[in-house]
Amino acid sequence: MISTDDMPNGQRRIKVEPRLNPNASWTLAMYMIATLFGFGLTALLIWTSGADVLKAFMTLFNGAFGSQKAWIASLAKATPLILTGLATIVAFRAQVWSIGQEGQVYSGAMGAYLACLVFAGLPIGIYLSLIILSGMIAGAGLGIIAAILKTRFGVNEIISTVMMNYLIVFLLSYLIGGGPWTEVSSSVVYQQSAQIPDAAQLPYLFGTAKLHIAFVFALIAAVFCYVVLEKTPLGYEIRAMGFNPVALAHRGTNIGRTMIIVMAISGAIAGLAGVSEIFGTSHRVRVDTLYGFGFTGIIIGMIGGLRPLGAVIAGILFGGLETGALYMKLLAKVPAAIVPAMEGILLLTFLIAGVAARYKIVRVNTND
Amino acid sequence: MSPLLKCVDLTKRFPGVVANDRVTFDLMPGEVHCLFGENGAGKSTLSSCLFGYYQPEGGHIECDGIPVKFNSPRDAIAVGIGMVHQHFVLVADFTVLENIVVGTHAKGWKLDLKSARARVDALCQQYDINLDLDAYVRDLAVGQQQWVEILKALYLDARILILDEPTAVLTPDESERLFHIIDQMCQRHISIILISHKMSEVMQADRVTVLRKGAVVGTVETADATPDILTKMMVGRDVALRVSRTNPADQGDVKKPVLEVRNVSYVAASGKSALTDITLTIHRGEILGLAGVSGNGQKELFEVLSGILVPNAGEITLDGATVTGMPSRDYMQRGVGLIPDDRFREGLIPEFSVQENMILGWQRDDAYTSGPLLSAAKIKENGEAMIDAFQIKVPSGATPVNHLSGGNAQKVILAREFSQSSTLLLANQPTRGLDLGVIEYVYSQIIAKRDQGYAVLLASEELEDLLNISDRIAVMSDGKIVGIVNAQDSSVPEIGQLMTGAQAA
Amino acid sequence: MTELFSEAILISIFAGTVRIMTPILFAAIGELVTQRAGIWNMGVEGTMLMGSFTAYFVATSTGSIWLAVLAAVMSGVMMGLVTAFMTVTMRVDHFISGLGINLLVAGLTLYWFRIYIAGRAQPTFDGFNSVAIPGLSQIPYLGPILFDQRLLTYLAFAAVPMIWFLLYRTRWGLELRCLGENPKALDIKGLSVVRRQYMAVLIGSAMTGLGGGFLMLGFSDRFLADITAGRGWLAIVAIIAGNWMPRGVLAAVFVFALLESIGTHVQVLGLNMPHQIFLAMPYLASILLLMGLRRKTNQPVKLGIPYFR
Repeated sequence: MISTDDMPNGQRRIKVEPRLNPNASWTLAMYMIATLFGFGLTALLIWTSGADVLKAFMTLFNGAFGSQKAWIASLAKATPLILTGLATIVAFRAQVWSIGQEGQVYSGAMGAYLACLVFAGLPIGIYLSLIILSGMIAGAGLGIIAAILKTRFGVNEIISTVMMNYLIVFLLSYLIGGGPWTEVSSSVVYQQSAQIPDAAQLPYLFGTAKLHIAFVFALIAAVFCYVVLEKTPLGYEIRAMGFNPVALAHRGTNIGRTMIIVMAISGAIAGLAGVSEIFGTSHRVRVDTLYGFGFTGIIIGMIGGLRPLGAVIAGILFGGLETGALYMKLLAKVPAAIVPAMEGILLLTFLIAGVAARYKIVRVNTND
Repeated sequence: MSPLLKCVDLTKRFPGVVANDRVTFDLMPGEVHCLFGENGAGKSTLSSCLFGYYQPEGGHIECDGIPVKFNSPRDAIAVGIGMVHQHFVLVADFTVLENIVVGTHAKGWKLDLKSARARVDALCQQYDINLDLDAYVRDLAVGQQQWVEILKALYLDARILILDEPTAVLTPDESERLFHIIDQMCQRHISIILISHKMSEVMQADRVTVLRKGAVVGTVETADATPDILTKMMVGRDVALRVSRTNPADQGDVKKPVLEVRNVSYVAASGKSALTDITLTIHRGEILGLAGVSGNGQKELFEVLSGILVPNAGEITLDGATVTGMPSRDYMQRGVGLIPDDRFREGLIPEFSVQENMILGWQRDDAYTSGPLLSAAKIKENGEAMIDAFQIKVPSGATPVNHLSGGNAQKVILAREFSQSSTLLLANQPTRGLDLGVIEYVYSQIIAKRDQGYAVLLASEELEDLLNISDRIAVMSDGKIVGIVNAQDSSVPEIGQLMTGAQAA
Repeated sequence: MTELFSEAILISIFAGTVRIMTPILFAAIGELVTQRAGIWNMGVEGTMLMGSFTAYFVATSTGSIWLAVLAAVMSGVMMGLVTAFMTVTMRVDHFISGLGINLLVAGLTLYWFRIYIAGRAQPTFDGFNSVAIPGLSQIPYLGPILFDQRLLTYLAFAAVPMIWFLLYRTRWGLELRCLGENPKALDIKGLSVVRRQYMAVLIGSAMTGLGGGFLMLGFSDRFLADITAGRGWLAIVAIIAGNWMPRGVLAAVFVFALLESIGTHVQVLGLNMPHQIFLAMPYLASILLLMGLRRKTNQPVKLGIPYFR
């Protein structure tokens, strides 16, 4: 209970009490305040950099959603974010604190690229399917390793996934920075792979040359996550594990097996984000283009209230923010790095709002 | 003579409930005053207010006739009030001395254990307490841990001591020791507020104040009171104190054994031997009571018998089939039901609804699914049927279980386990923390199952209940079965002896 | 490969180890204090990064590296306030709030950094130099390794016994350890759990900020976006591997630092192996260390569990 108990001889006039029943309008109010506060802090940051705050926000939103071209770019940027957000949700709902989305994105990209090299020449439908599947398996593999480390060896999953993130990046940096996947031009070695063959590129939607089918995959993944979590026995077990794994285990469910399944699904979806980025957008494997999807996915999952629909909405919003940031940088001279800062601020304010939504303020009459 | 401590019209509210409703209570110097009432009557809340842990919304407290306001336990401790909690507040990894000393205001920054040790040694001498001050609390027996709690209060020069359900976790022998210490304290002019729901302890006090649903029913001298009068005050109607002696089940055929346990042992991860060489048999239509204070291996036994833990040695047979080492899922499917002693932590998903909790463990069963998906309709139907059959007081099946009272939550577990099991029922402290009405209901349901032919293992700390309900009683101490007696032929003293007999030496 | 074992190189490796240990040691010992009080501050990485950036900013704008050190500590205190507010007052889950802080700091420092260097060559500063202890630094082998280091390094090593003393020999230390094991024991005596946990978090974060400051000032002359590169996480692993005891933490940090030092030397010597293998060693080692832990754990019982009455 938060109260002003520490005041000596306190005459408490206001007390904060836990709420018995969640109140939808109070909760909404808390989140709105959080959003406003978050934007307010962001405005403050922009103002201290000397830029015009109003112009900054306007170019930001125009660049994000101000035209059809902007929308397409935003949705394209949103695709991997929605996927990593979903990956976060599947794990966090089970109270498995996987921070491995970042590494699973890389792993997915690497697995898919390997398939793209190995299966070159196959008919396009099979070729693409194998690429996508390999990416998902590679991502799932990393997730399963973390789950096994936890269930068999008791290794905290936060630490194991963070460490594996670094290990995967080192592996990738070796492969494309001197190792077998490096693109060697006549004189210089770049830290990137060769461009992927045309046949391996994910087809675009509606002839946009920017928004590709991975966006549809993201939406399908969101529906999949929703159905699994809310409507299936597995989802029952996942949610129960998140609330009380002890009781779930007592009544017959194998927690270790469930954790492995959770991490496999989470890893596969995150791996799909890696496939989306390499085979849909940048068309070659580099470390910097893949960076950050995993971490942002955590924010998106949390802000989305750990619900698949929330991840889609938050993902689209953040995709918009990142697209708009480029305009903001050009036209309002604000560094694009404001966006990750803003995302971090919003996460913290939403976390606080989530806690505040469970309390209420009560007026107390003091006696004697 | 004015009261040492007094509260007038004390009122304490929590969200949704009035825990103490205009309570007036006083403690005279040198007396032992018992606060008596069922679970949920407000006894613990009242004592927490008197100790300064909670601040009341109404009324006031007087000490030595002067109104005082306790903003925190520091104020209460300053006037000499000490409290021994029902659930000990100790640090397992600290030594006895460290536990007593932490948070007491020694001067300066240095951790001076030397002078503290001298003071505690003196206290131990005064009260005939034999304790190794450098032992780690985690290695102490429950009774000894309570001594540490008492020493904590005495170290701070308490002249008023509040004891909250002190004998709840003690063997009869340890309880006697405790009351010996209480006598000593009275001789040293320490006044005692004793919180209890056990009639035997109430009658040892000087006065009794009976609480019911947060309000005072009355205060009487124990010399003028009888158990019947007090029970009637506590519950508000004439009741038999406990479920009365039941007729033993039809002894016609030779009873078939359902559960056979042979030489089962279990060693915990810490290396401690929790179960040693357990052998017992439970037959169809029989209730085997399990007597013994918690912490002697009962929990591990229940978990081994339901497949949650795998024994290190021995064999378990269910209806003739060997089930040793199988996971809990298999035990469930063979008809074993489990009512755990920690209902919210081990038997329920608190955030899930009542109807979702009704299928916990059976979520993949055809009865609740259609195809690969859960069937909301079937789950809802099942929930409503159970709520009806077991009279669970809840607005709807969709209500989250953490909104339910302890009694209703227990009914959810009962409903589920009774309807899903078919041969063996394992009930670990099923009536702990419940009020009398629900206790009667639970026992009657268990007896009904026995009459249907179930084998039942029933653990309880209330020996009178076990004697009334069980057919046979197994006594557990220190991980071993030290004796199995016929309930009809046995008594509390005999069982108490068995419990402690194995401990001597 | 055998070049690695020449005398001069070995001394350089170990001397480098001691230097590399410094920032991680500050963070680990500070976080140990925080964790023994029951708060699992996952935001060590972010707090360290903030310390590094603050040190860089102050060093290059004022020219004084000691002012930069002070600023790094202050930034740690600020981060500590945020951490304590989230975990102790608001009782947000410890893991999530720490991760949130890491993400926030990563974004903020990048943003401020971009603004700071906008349109000009990146400013640099003169970092710390070694201060050899007269006499002791002449001892063969050990001298250059242990006694020819920067002043803050000596402080970091001194901090270990100091914190040990604080935890085990003072009244305050006993109360702090009680917080991690059973805060109710203090609450029930009317002592403020909140105040004590705030203190523990502030101390821990201040030390972590200091570590981040040294990471900047004692190793290079300019800021990079991901300069902490997971060292904050290694500090947390060191606590787990060290079983929540000061000497264990010291040993674990030594292992990580040694691996990193070997890796740096391999890179410099241009040996014919992918240098990423050695960069990866500390991270791999931490996973293996955690896998192998089978002994009785000293983890504070209530670590990570927000205290509710």
